[in-house]
Amino acid sequence: MLCVALLAMLASSTRLLAASGPGFAEPEAPRQIEIGVLSHRGNRLTQQQWGATADYLTQALPRHCFRIMPLAFNEVEDAVASGRVQFLLVNPGMYVDLEVRHRISRIATIRNGSGDQARNRFGGVIFTRADRDDIAELADLRGKRLLAVDPHSLGGFLMQLDVLQRQGIRVPRSVAALDFAGIHDAVVLAVRDGLADVGLVRTDILERMAMQGLIEHSDFRVLAPRGVPNFPLLLSTPLYPEWPFSTLQSTSNALAQQVAIALLRMPTDAPAALAGGYAGWTVPLDYQPVHQLLQALHRPPYDHPDAFTLIDALQRYWPGVVLSLLALLLLLILTGRLQTLNARLNRAKSRLEQRQELILNSVAEGIYGVDLSGRTTFVNKAAERMTGWDQHQLIGCNQHQVLHHQHRGDAFPRAGEDCPVYATFRDQQARFVEDDLFWRRDGSCFPVEYSTTPIRDEHGKTVGSVVVFRDTTERRDAAARIQRLQTEQARVARLSTLGEMASGIAHELNQPLTAISTNARASIRLIENGRGTLECCSQVMTKIADQAERAGEIIRHIRRFVRKEEPETSPVAVADLFDTILVLLHQEARQHAVEIQCEISPKVDKVLVQRTQIEQVILNLARNAIEAMAETPGPHQLKLLAQPRALESNTEPRARTIIRVADSGPGIADSIQGRLFEPFTTTKARGLGLGLSISAGIVETHGGKLVLSATESGACFEFCLPSL
Amino acid sequence: MNTDPTVFIVDDDDEVRAAIGLLMESVGLEVRTYDSAQAFLDDFDPERPGCLVLDVRMRGMSGIELQTHLATAPIHPPIVIITGHGDVPMAVRAVQAGAVDFLEKPFNDQALLDAVHRAFSVDARRRGIAMRRAEVKQRLERLTPREREILEQIVAGKRNKVIAADLHISQSTVEAHRAKVMDKLEARSLSELMRLMLSDQATAEEPQENPQTPG
Repeated sequence: MLCVALLAMLASSTRLLAASGPGFAEPEAPRQIEIGVLSHRGNRLTQQQWGATADYLTQALPRHCFRIMPLAFNEVEDAVASGRVQFLLVNPGMYVDLEVRHRISRIATIRNGSGDQARNRFGGVIFTRADRDDIAELADLRGKRLLAVDPHSLGGFLMQLDVLQRQGIRVPRSVAALDFAGIHDAVVLAVRDGLADVGLVRTDILERMAMQGLIEHSDFRVLAPRGVPNFPLLLSTPLYPEWPFSTLQSTSNALAQQVAIALLRMPTDAPAALAGGYAGWTVPLDYQPVHQLLQALHRPPYDHPDAFTLIDALQRYWPGVVLSLLALLLLLILTGRLQTLNARLNRAKSRLEQRQELILNSVAEGIYGVDLSGRTTFVNKAAERMTGWDQHQLIGCNQHQVLHHQHRGDAFPRAGEDCPVYATFRDQQARFVEDDLFWRRDGSCFPVEYSTTPIRDEHGKTVGSVVVFRDTTERRDAAARIQRLQTEQARVARLSTLGEMASGIAHELNQPLTAISTNARASIRLIENGRGTLECCSQVMTKIADQAERAGEIIRHIRRFVRKEEPETSPVAVADLFDTILVLLHQEARQHAVEIQCEISPKVDKVLVQRTQIEQVILNLARNAIEAMAETPGPHQLKLLAQPRALESNTEPRARTIIRVADSGPGIADSIQGRLFEPFTTTKARGLGLGLSISAGIVETHGGKLVLSATESGACFEFCLPSL
Repeated sequence: MNTDPTVFIVDDDDEVRAAIGLLMESVGLEVRTYDSAQAFLDDFDPERPGCLVLDVRMRGMSGIELQTHLATAPIHPPIVIITGHGDVPMAVRAVQAGAVDFLEKPFNDQALLDAVHRAFSVDARRRGIAMRRAEVKQRLERLTPREREILEQIVAGKRNKVIAADLHISQSTVEAHRAKVMDKLEARSLSELMRLMLSDQATAEEPQENPQTPG
């Protein structure tokens, strides 16, 4: 818009200047119209040749003032692009290019020549001096100096170039030199003067120059001449449509139409035509041949645009390039830094991995990971060692099927769904399994305890679980050994207790034995004296038998008490337990004037115990009580109590029975209450202090706890036993 | 008063007590049984002859305690200790306290019967001595103080003339007192008088018979 306004201003000012000149003043300032003309024969000649045509148009179109603007080859595009011209008269080659790139359109084609010789097509001439015998045909052009008009000249270069290329002559590679003279006349003169070996001009130039007397026609010889009917001029190339008169896209259609009509109406002998050396105008021809020619030669607009070189880029975009380079440099530095960091990170990572592997492989526990599909993901050395499997064999395998498909005591393999390892990543709860079996590669198995923990990725999503397991064979063996030792210790303690009680027991046995022997002797004497009645003797015999059974009972108790007990528990009536105590302690109690009372609640069931051991506990507690009571003057009471214990909660598996051993002795000093159940704690001058610690151990194996409970007087020990 | 000796049996074991009783009865001895020391003490009559068969270890008062208690009485039946645990210290203690025998259960029936008979004879002798001493004491109580004075001089072996001189009385007075002493003490001769007086003195230190120690 700005351009148009400027143009308008320029036009009006020019018009004002013009108005003062010729004197045909008009009421309205005429509009200035520029016709750009390719000045291929020099500006002066161009003005001469086309000035009349501009005047013709000025006359034909009132209120318009047409002017010729000569344009060198390299000025044309700029003039079009900047809109300095409204109309354009250029060779067909340039027209085609501008048609494509600047949307100019032809409105008329020139008829060249004059009168009968008028023609609207033209071609190119390849010529040399007539005396150049060494140049007879096109092939001889190799190694010669060529002179053309302009790289953009259609008739003065491009047409000939096409012909030469079709002949296989590469220009400019195959020739010694290729120069451009700028205008046709200069080419002709240079060839005549021997400055070049061969010249390239459009048709009609040689003829015109000869006619004007500038050259001698005979001085020149045309190479590869062609004869075309109705075309009398010298010719070396195919014919192409003549120059078109074209309008720019910005020029108004009305104006273009008026100009086109004016041109087509121009008579053949119009002064403008005569001055221009042409014979008027025709409707625009088809310029397709020119398109094809330019396509074949890869010329604009069919060129591959010139490589936009680095220099160009630098010249044009150097701030950008510098910035880009700086950015690139920065990027390089950053990349380098990044790489250093990355390398460090990698080293750290590999160190970390090594350390992880070292830790993993140096722990004694077997460790392996499992993914969500139950496949093993990693295995440490301890796990390999314990299971006998190689990690390559385990990784990727279903761990459940391989390692712990069967549980202790299960007759059938367990289903994978029950596997605690899988349950762990299903409910995301860590687990600890105390008693399970893992299977070795050789088919044997070993007891394990293991913990299984869900593995989470960085987003907290569970991706599997990790299992840490330990072979518990040794611990189990040790536990069994300890159990055996404890049992043996308890038995030794029982034997020792019996040893201490030996004299009391002997007395206990002596009583029935004494009664038996005395009764027997007495009855013998009665019989001998003749005073023994049958009734009397049978009474005595009954007494003897009773006493013998009494002795046998005592011996049975003692034997059971000292034998190696069976490890299994069995149901025992609490009364039976107390009975043993009464028998074994009868003498000691008598000696120390202690009365033993048993109170068994009727609600008490049988208890499920290892009988001998529990009897040992009660006996031990009772003997301690008797010994303690013997230190103070009597009378004394020892109570053995049994009561059912109420269930404290629903979680308790079964009812329990409380056994209490209560005495009326001096009680237990506060100073030793804290360590009462520790070994070697004793108040007796000759005691080892093992009794209570052994008793506490026995009670513990029955799931109870031996405690000293508070009483008003004396001491009371109590513990719970599982009821049947 | 029943003069047949009785076997007193103290044992808290019913069966043993009954068996010992039967054994005693089988040889025709009088028997009384007690299930505790206290029961025996409640029924105790010092005049009744016999012996005590005593179990050492009993509820309540033990055998040794009963023995100690009885030792304070002027006369009591000799004690035969029977025990289930014959240990030397206890045997020594029992014998020191005056037990005549110490038997360990189960004992031989004959040994027990022998011990009982031995105890009976000890008891009989003790009771005989005690009786004679009581008689002498009774006769001496008949004497006047002057007669008792004369008797002491006679026992000291002094002649009538010496006694008369010592007491500043006439010899005939001494002879009259002497005849009265002889008469009151029912001694027919000087030697009989001397024996009477000596036996009275000896009862206090009469030697004990050696008890049978167990074993």
